[in-house]
This record gives sequence, C-alpha cells and structure tokens, in this order.
Amino acid sequence: MKMLEIKNLHASVGDKEILRGINLTINAGEVHAIMGPNGAGKSTLSNVLAGRDGYTITQGEVLYKGENLLELAAEERAQRGVFLAFQYPVEIPGVSNIYLLKAALNAVRKYQGLDELDAIDFLSLVRSKLDLVKMDEQFLHRGVNEGFSGGEKKRNEILQMALLEPSLAILDETDSGLDIDALKTVSEGVNGLRSADRSIVMITHYQRLLDYIEPDFVHVLSDGKIVKTGDKELAKELEKTGYSWVQQGQAE
Amino acid sequence: MKQITELATPFASISSDETFFGDDLPWLKSLRLKARTQFNNAGLPAKKEEDWKYTSLRPFARQQFNHGAKTQPLSVEQCNDYALLDDAYRFVIIDGVFSAELSKIDGLQAGLIIRPLSEAVDLIQPHLGQQVELTKPGFTALNTMMMSEGMAVTVDSNVKIEKTIELLVINSGESANLATHLRHVIVLADNSEATIIEHYLGLNADSSFTNTVTEVILAESAQLKHYKLQQESSKAFHIATLAAKQAAKSQWTTNSISLGAKLARNDVHTQLLGEQSHVVMDGLYLVDNDQHVDFHTRIDHTVANTTSDELYKGILNGNSHGVFNGKVMVHKDAQKTDANQQNHNLLLSRGCEIDTKPEMEIYADDVKCGHGSTVGQINADHLFFLRSRGLDEVSARSLLTYAFTADVLDRIDSELIRTALANVVEQRLPKPSI
Ligand SMILES: Nc1ncnc2c1ncn2[C@@H]1O[C@H](COP(=O)(O)OP(=O)(O)OP(=O)(O)O)[C@@H](O)[C@H]1O
Ligand SMILES: [Mg+2]
Repeated sequence: MKMLEIKNLHASVGDKEILRGINLTINAGEVHAIMGPNGAGKSTLSNVLAGRDGYTITQGEVLYKGENLLELAAEERAQRGVFLAFQYPVEIPGVSNIYLLKAALNAVRKYQGLDELDAIDFLSLVRSKLDLVKMDEQFLHRGVNEGFSGGEKKRNEILQMALLEPSLAILDETDSGLDIDALKTVSEGVNGLRSADRSIVMITHYQRLLDYIEPDFVHVLSDGKIVKTGDKELAKELEKTGYSWVQQGQAE
Repeated sequence: MKQITELATPFASISSDETFFGDDLPWLKSLRLKARTQFNNAGLPAKKEEDWKYTSLRPFARQQFNHGAKTQPLSVEQCNDYALLDDAYRFVIIDGVFSAELSKIDGLQAGLIIRPLSEAVDLIQPHLGQQVELTKPGFTALNTMMMSEGMAVTVDSNVKIEKTIELLVINSGESANLATHLRHVIVLADNSEATIIEHYLGLNADSSFTNTVTEVILAESAQLKHYKLQQESSKAFHIATLAAKQAAKSQWTTNSISLGAKLARNDVHTQLLGEQSHVVMDGLYLVDNDQHVDFHTRIDHTVANTTSDELYKGILNGNSHGVFNGKVMVHKDAQKTDANQQNHNLLLSRGCEIDTKPEMEIYADDVKCGHGSTVGQINADHLFFLRSRGLDEVSARSLLTYAFTADVLDRIDSELIRTALANVVEQRLPKPSI
C-alpha cells in the first residue's frame, strides 16, 4: 500500500519558493531518511505535510493513503494518523503534559469511532509508554515541555508518538541534542513502532541514527529538491564527503 | 451650598433626611455628614481625573438607581447552589439586606466574630474609614454616606480560623436598578489567621449598582488569605475598593477575579506599615462583548524590609475594554524593599482594547524592584502544535486561553478554593472566535 505520494510539490513562503518540485513515494512499512544541508527545506516539507499555515502550495499534490492530504486541516491529518515530531518542540506553560496526551489520544480515538479511555486505562497506557522512552512520571504533571532540557523535549515528542501510534511518523531531527544513551532509548522506541502498516520518515544530519534505525531509503534534499536517493550506504558516503558532490551533480 | 456635578446625577435625589444605621451615634453621624459634604462638592470622578482616564462613567451617570429594595427570598438550596464553598461559614446579603436565615454563622470557632455591620458598630469603630481616603472624588465618599450593611469580621490574637468565610452578596434582580452600598470590615488581631472569600453574584441580566468598600486591618504577624469573585450581571455596575493596612510581619494574599458586570472598577490598595510585612496581590479579569473592567492597584512600601508580589492577568474578547494601572510606591525609608509587579494580557479579538500601565515610584536606594507588562495574542506555534496532535482549533484555542490563567490560579494554595475558582473561570472563558 502507498502511504504517502508527493508529486512535484512546490511550496513558497511569501514570494520565496522553498520546496521546488519534490517527488517522493513512501510505502507502508518503509523507513525513509531525509538528509541535506541546513536550509534545504527539510523542516518546511515536514511542516507542509503536517498542515502548518503560512505556506502557499503553488504546484503539485500530496496523497496520504490515497486521500488529498493538502485539503485537510492540521488536526484532521493528525486524527488520520499523520504525526510530526518537531525539530524545536514548543513549551506551553499552563497545559499539563498529561492533559495534552489525554486530549490528543481522545481526539484520535474519536475519529476512529472509539470511546474515550477511562482514567485508569489511560494512566496504565501512558505508564507503559513512559517506560518505553524511559521518562519519569513526574514529567506528566509539568507544563508541556516547560523547562524540559533539549533531550527531554525530544523524548516527550516520542512519548506522544508512542501513545498516538500514527501511520505516518515524521521525525524532524529527533536525534539532535540527544546524548548517546538517549539516542539509543529513542531509537528503540522508534524501532518498537516499526510495523508493516506504519511508515517513518526521519530527518537527520547524522549517520549515527541510521545505525540504530536502519532506513530502507536515504534521500538527499537540497535547495528544495530531492537530488539523490539511495540506501543506507549513501548516508555513509555523505558522512565522509559532505554534500557538495550531490549538489554539483544536480543538473539544472 | 450644594453643588452636584453632572456625573453625580444618579444620586442627586438622595435627601439629607434619609436615615441610616448608627445615626444615633455622633461619631458615625458626623462621618457620614463629612462624606456627604465631600460627595456633594466633588461628585463622581470625571475622565479628566488621571485615575479615571480610561474609564468613563457616562453610561453610569445616565442611569437612575433606587435605594431600598424589595428583596427576593431564596431557598437554602438555591443559596447552596450559588455559594462557592459548601463547608464554610457563610454570610449572605441579598439585595443589600443581610439574611440571617441563609447565613451559616452559628457555632463560630472561639475567637471569631462575624456580624452584620449594622450590628457591629461598637466593634469596628476604631477602624471604620481608617483605611480609605474620603477626600478623593467618588465612590468611597458615596459609600461612606450611604453604607447600609456589610460584613464585620474580627479574629482574636493567636487564633487560627480553620473554616473559610464566604461572604455571598447576591443581587436577585427583584428590584430594578437597585443600588447597594456595602462596607465590610475585617480585623485580624496579632498572630491570627483567616481565609475570606467575597463573592458577588447577579441572578438576572438587569442593571444594578454595587458599591463596596472592604477595609482590612492586619495586626502584627496576622495572615489573611482573601479572594474576591465578581460574577455580577452583564448590565451591572460594580465599583469596589479594597484597602488594607498591614503591621509588621503580617501577610496578606489577595486575589480578585473579575468576570461579570458591564463596568467593573476595582481599587486595591495596601499599606505595608511594619517591617517584614508581605503582600501577594493577584487578579484575573475576563471580559467579553462590551464589558469594561478597570483595576487600579497600589502598594505602599513605607518601611524597610517589606515585600510585595503582584500578578494580574487579563483575557479580553469581543469589544471589551480593560484597564490595568498598578502603582508600587517605595517610600524613602523603605530600604531593602523587594517588589515585583506583572500584568499580562491576552487579546482574543480585534475589537478589544487594553490600557496597561505598571508604575513604580522608588524613593529608596537599596531596593529590588521589577515590573513588566505584556499584551499578546494566542501563540500561533502553540496553536499549531496542539492541532498537530489532533485537537480541533476551537478546543486548542480554549485550552490555550485557559492555560493563560494557570499561573494566577496556581498561586491559590488551598486546593479546595483553587479548584472551585478554576471551575468558575473555566466556564466563563470567552469563547474564542476563529
Ligand atoms: N516562514 C519563513 N519565512 C521565510 N523564510 C523561511 C520561512 N520558513 C523557512 N524559510 C526558509 O526556507 C529555507 C528552508 O528552511 P527549513 O527550515 O525547511 O530548512 P531545513 O532543511 O530544515 O534546515 P535545518 O537543517 O537547518 O533544520 C531556509 O532558508 C529558511 O530560512
Ligand atoms: Mg530543519
């Protein structure tokens, strides 16, 4: 089954074109890594997929499970199983983590036609996910990401993902800022979610992550386009040589 | 010769032979007369008055108000529904009249007196009028000449009152355009403790005018937690002065939550008169449609080693208008003052307006003082984050709006009171328009 089909996607902010013709197909069960230099448009692509306002789609289309994704509001995408782990998770004082988790889970369950979980079932579910990402229960009662360290914020994103069990997870530099142990924990969390009916897109700058979570494909995004696709060997090559050779090889 | 300014017309008809409680007491009679002279000379404050720059009393002045009411009898059950707390001493005033039947002030803890003001004149004589200024034009003078009832509370030395005292002031709407002038006096002797909630409620949408003055006297090491919840009708005029004097080591925590009324004006003032006295002065205002809310606060640090911590937050929607003017005065002998004042506002609509002016006047040189104010909207990144987790836009906006109030509510240390107030606030959150 095709999870995501991006066809000739062009997106701009104001009159600046950032995505300049992206083509990418992701099948169910696959893990794709997207690498590329700073400013290439990786986060822009994830934001566009997650439904953030402020971008103009000038050309192209995106199908998610065969449905026109770009017509859906951000919350509709989330309810249908699209999940973005943010590169820079926001702090929201006054909204407790547990409240967020509950509201998010119930929103997804409602869409799926399921009842809300009662308090006891919800808590035991959350506890099992906390174990998965090795987070202490006290984080549940703090404001969302409020005062969390960089690594704690990233773990918190994975906690949300583990709870919501999305069909398409986009992880935007979830590995940045993680210490070695945390990287392992988070990777285990992500690997635990790998399944035949789920697809994962990992945006990363570091080959190391791909040692833990082996991708089926590696893409290089540069200047708003995918300029090269390969397997995990491509990531190793990039680590050694940088991006200049793929960028030069890009015939305009 | 009597001069009544244009803005005093709602009260121009008050005749000088009206009678009040305590008229047989020369000191009280003369206090009322002094106030009458003052009010008749100066009338109500006009907009050119600096303190009233952003709050116009014109809509108020166009109204005629009645004194003396038919009161509507309420059942105990109704009263239980209206009250904020179940397990509390309760002092009920309906349409300006004390209701002994609905109040729960029997079997008070030893060392505590709660009485209607009209029956407590002897008790409060040394304090009445000492916390407020009569000389400024306006409502305090009007209140002093007209005060007809109120709650008097005294707590003896070294007594800690376990139960909260809820003052429930209900405007039933039975008498149209009713004006009530209430005076509450709270006296805590040294090393005593109490928790008091003032709760103002309007039962229907009629116009009314509540003019309250609350005087708080805290002796050495006394601790008062004071909350005020104002939920009057959307046509009501609510004018309130809350003024305290604090002796050494006393601690006053006050939090005013203003939700109702067409026009609500609150003057909150404390004088830190003894060393190591401390005040936490908080407030929350939520206004929608054409509501107008105005908070003027003032903290006087008059001696060394006093502290104040002030946090006011406002949420405005529709075409509402908010005013916050907070003044912290650090007098020249008030070395080592530690004062912090914050006012933050969330605007939910294009039509609403806020005038915020935090002020610090500092005449001492060795002090730690900070203040700040912000005016903002719902954060677009926060909104997108919540939506990206599946929350629809309306729920996400409501959640963020509620979250904005969290730090003010979190500063209420009794969980019971915090939960009760948080529920009321949550229900009254302006529905965010998209
Ligand atoms: N709202 C915006 N307004 C103007 N320019 C923008 C906006 N959003 C993104 N850009 C620009 O688009 C380009 C791509 O940004 P994007 O964040 O997608 O890069 P990235 O590939 O994720 O980079 P990094 O590896 O540093 O995270 C950058 O040049 C950025 O400045
Ligand atoms: Mg990025």
